[in-house]
Amino acid sequence: MASILISSSEKYSGKSSLCAGIGIILKDKGYSVGYMKPVGNMLVDVNGVLSDEDSEQARKLFDLKDDIKNITPILLTDNLVEDALAGVEKHLDKTIIDAYGEISRDKDVVLLEGTGGIGGGAIYGLSDPQVASIIGTKILLVTRYESIHAIDRILSDIELIHDPDMFAGIILNEVDEGQLEHVCELVVPFLENKGVKVLGVLPKDTTLRSVPISEIVEDLHAEVLAGSENLEVLVDHYLVGAMEVNSAIKYFRRTPNSVVITGGDRSDIQMAAIEARVKCLVLTGNLQPSAAVLGSADEAQIPVILVRGDTMSTIERMERLIGRARFRREHKLGRMVELINNNVNVKELMSLIGL
Amino acid sequence: MLEKLFDPASVAVIGASRTEGKVGRAVLDNLLESYSGRIIPINPKADEILGLPCYPTILDAPGGAELAVVVVPAVLVPDALEKCGLAGVKNVVVISAGFKEAGIEGSKLERRCAEIVKEHGMRMVGPNCLGIIDTASGLNASFAASMAKKGNIAMMSQSGAICTSTLDWADARGVGFSKFISLGNKADLSENDFLLEMEDDENTAVIAAYLEGVKDGPKFMEIAREVSRKKPVIVIKSGRTAVGSRAVSSHTGTLAGSDEAYNAAFSQSNVIRADSVEQLMDYIRAFSSQPIPDGRNIAIITNAGGLGILTADACQFAGLSLSSFNEDTIGKLRGKLPPAASLYNPVDVLGDARPDIYGFAIETILDDPNVDGVILLTSPQAMTEIKSIAEVVVEKCAHTKKPILCSFVGGTRIEEGEAILNRHHIPNYPFPERAVASMAALCDYGVMREHEYVLPEKFDVDKEFVSSLLRDAISNGRRTLGLESFDILRAYGIPVVETLNVKTLQGALDACENMGYPVVMKVLSADISHKTDVGGVRIGLENADDVERAYLTMMSDVRRYMPHAVVSGVQVQKMITGGKEVIIGMNRDVQFGPLLMFGLGGTYVEVLKDVSFSVAPVGVDVLKKMVSSIRTYPILTGVRGESPSDIASIVDTLCRVSQLVSDFPEILEFEINPLMVLPEGQGCVAMDIRLTLGGE
Repeated sequence: MASILISSSEKYSGKSSLCAGIGIILKDKGYSVGYMKPVGNMLVDVNGVLSDEDSEQARKLFDLKDDIKNITPILLTDNLVEDALAGVEKHLDKTIIDAYGEISRDKDVVLLEGTGGIGGGAIYGLSDPQVASIIGTKILLVTRYESIHAIDRILSDIELIHDPDMFAGIILNEVDEGQLEHVCELVVPFLENKGVKVLGVLPKDTTLRSVPISEIVEDLHAEVLAGSENLEVLVDHYLVGAMEVNSAIKYFRRTPNSVVITGGDRSDIQMAAIEARVKCLVLTGNLQPSAAVLGSADEAQIPVILVRGDTMSTIERMERLIGRARFRREHKLGRMVELINNNVNVKELMSLIGL
Repeated sequence: MLEKLFDPASVAVIGASRTEGKVGRAVLDNLLESYSGRIIPINPKADEILGLPCYPTILDAPGGAELAVVVVPAVLVPDALEKCGLAGVKNVVVISAGFKEAGIEGSKLERRCAEIVKEHGMRMVGPNCLGIIDTASGLNASFAASMAKKGNIAMMSQSGAICTSTLDWADARGVGFSKFISLGNKADLSENDFLLEMEDDENTAVIAAYLEGVKDGPKFMEIAREVSRKKPVIVIKSGRTAVGSRAVSSHTGTLAGSDEAYNAAFSQSNVIRADSVEQLMDYIRAFSSQPIPDGRNIAIITNAGGLGILTADACQFAGLSLSSFNEDTIGKLRGKLPPAASLYNPVDVLGDARPDIYGFAIETILDDPNVDGVILLTSPQAMTEIKSIAEVVVEKCAHTKKPILCSFVGGTRIEEGEAILNRHHIPNYPFPERAVASMAALCDYGVMREHEYVLPEKFDVDKEFVSSLLRDAISNGRRTLGLESFDILRAYGIPVVETLNVKTLQGALDACENMGYPVVMKVLSADISHKTDVGGVRIGLENADDVERAYLTMMSDVRRYMPHAVVSGVQVQKMITGGKEVIIGMNRDVQFGPLLMFGLGGTYVEVLKDVSFSVAPVGVDVLKKMVSSIRTYPILTGVRGESPSDIASIVDTLCRVSQLVSDFPEILEFEINPLMVLPEGQGCVAMDIRLTLGGE
């Protein structure tokens, strides 16, 4: 059975997007693609059945007809933790093998997504390398390359995988434009010399970081007060307007594709944001702005949205929205596929998967 | 060009009403009271209003109208304007509210109105205003409670309430106006148009304005600079503080703008800034009635010693000098004033001074060529004949070309005297300090209007080089530039410290050998804007060992504090000693554009806030003043035997920076920090730069 487990040493390194991108590429090549996240850690309720957020997204994306319980057979619930600590035998190996059997039955290839970090789940005997060994598949590592420290991390991860035959290779993700040259000329040859196969180097991409304003509106349960014609505009940064107005305008002008979060009563900051032509204003505290400010926002065609929460909680939500390549919108998936096709050796990856 | 707005042959009131208490009625009443042209009420529900034939639309009115005043609800305004356009109306005053100040729908309506006005080649005052008044033509196209008295002051205001209060205040004091304009939302006509209009208006001698912001800053400066050479322009600008500017934004949906920028812009365009409504009124009274003095030497005449001393103090604070009288004056005064009187400035005529003594003192002192203006103080003492003293002042005022400002200090006992002064347009201030401030404003204006505008210098620079460098940076998504962009300064002829950019330790060592010790080493990274904070600057490196250790520890520090920063190498600079550090900066102001900043450098800069500002492009005269106006300027001229710094080279650098930031609007922020100024004759060198780029 052709399969691969996509793992990483840290959270939010791009596993889900890579699964989605690779899956779509394989589908387009005519393969029937299956997906599993054997151990779910982000619980969601799907019409009365508990599942994992990533799994649910993948199920919709690949239009999977499989039983939700087989896509993610194990969920990291409090009970499971307590049982593991108490030493209760749960036969989790068998659960995974059975589910994989069901999923893989009518598929050409199964993509498996790891749980959080590579060593996570070790207390249940379900770290990514352990899961790969249970199923008998190889591991593809994906890691964000932010600095030289990433190399230490990669080499330690490979140590964790233990069995060299189980390690397929690595994809370096979100490499800063300024570091691309350094990475390709020095880091990649270094890793290759150590016997680490580097399958691709993906540059940092603003489209993937971005979200359309409509998604922010949806996520924050916000009310649109102005600029409703521009809700599909993409934003890739958020800024908090809590400073003095003349500093605010400097700050906003430096980051034009941004959302500004500020209090509904801070008309000076709101005007500074409008003047700096930011992409969207999020007003917190359910405080209606002044009519004149709305008039100006409308004139500048800048969406103004009002939320109930305070600035702190709005920032927290925004933190989760921006910079995480969740595929609720078509444009991001297309961009991911494009990035993989341009920067990953897909042919070699396919042969490693067993296709 | 707007004369028909203020002096139309006929006025239509669209939305005229006969119902008392309605704006449409108030406007009609006001027109009927003093306007002699044809008045045409427009209202589809009436055939006649107040005896005037009324028409359903302006298109039905035979002969149309030259001016239309619109008071119908906001939603009906676009249609009314469209019809005005078709009927050939040239000017409209839209009093109706419910536009941008009222939100999104209003904002859309306002834009629509501006479009219609433009399509038909009309000009519009408002919307959301009180209306306009012209006392010469008798036009009162407003819903103000009363008509202004005739006078020589043109007043415009962005607040309708300030208009009504000013009118009422002025009425009580006999202050008259030539024109009164409520600017409203300034969808079409703004302060700039009216400034231009009033420049050559023969009925206007003084222009006053209450503004919350200006619509086009550079244009405002250009126009005000010209107009203020002919007439004083006095402005009160609100929204100076954080809370005030928030209120401006909330009120008008505009940015109040930075106060430093307004101060610089006003000063460069010779606009007199009033700090309070009280001061605005004080100034307009002085300017509308008194001549501009030739100098700053002031005489104080008083009947009370205490008031005289307070006034002398106030003069010193305001930068006015007390005149030294010539012998002739003193001799004359000695001959007539009582022996106990003080003959030197301030002149104390004593508490029992009779009007003839006042008259004599005033006349004698005005005759002294060392006196440019007089402040006359009176305290109502037992023997003081307030009425007669006021009459004497009136008489002496009529025969002099020097300004006289009075301060009769008191309450009920000075009322009669004050009334006489008011009647003859001689300003009386309730307290002497206000008279002094107004006198200082008159003197300042005397200097300002004589000042010739100096064109910004144009140096021969390599603009094309900078243009392509900036274009490349922007297309590569780089928003901040630093050390690596020293060539920008070189292209504009700004001296830069000798530097070499290298990628490795060996490169650094070689560079230092070539350059000669001591050297400074700075990290090169587009990601690091505050190099010192992350250990990215090492100074005073004396030899190769120093350089090696500095290089290695610097790289380690930078990696520790900013692990994600991309480091492209280091810059080795020749170490400069024996200079003084100054800062030249620029921040692009929303209203006025590039706002230059100058200050002394060093650690305490943030605390001292000892900086000066000017709006670029700017002439060398203003830049010289900019350098000399910081409090720590003496440090540059040299204290305690130090040799003076090369101030001319700072001014030259400022001139070049002014040209650079004016040439490239995409530069949002710019800083040379520090600029090392060497002793006189040795010039200055830029040690570090940082700039932020905007644009798509």
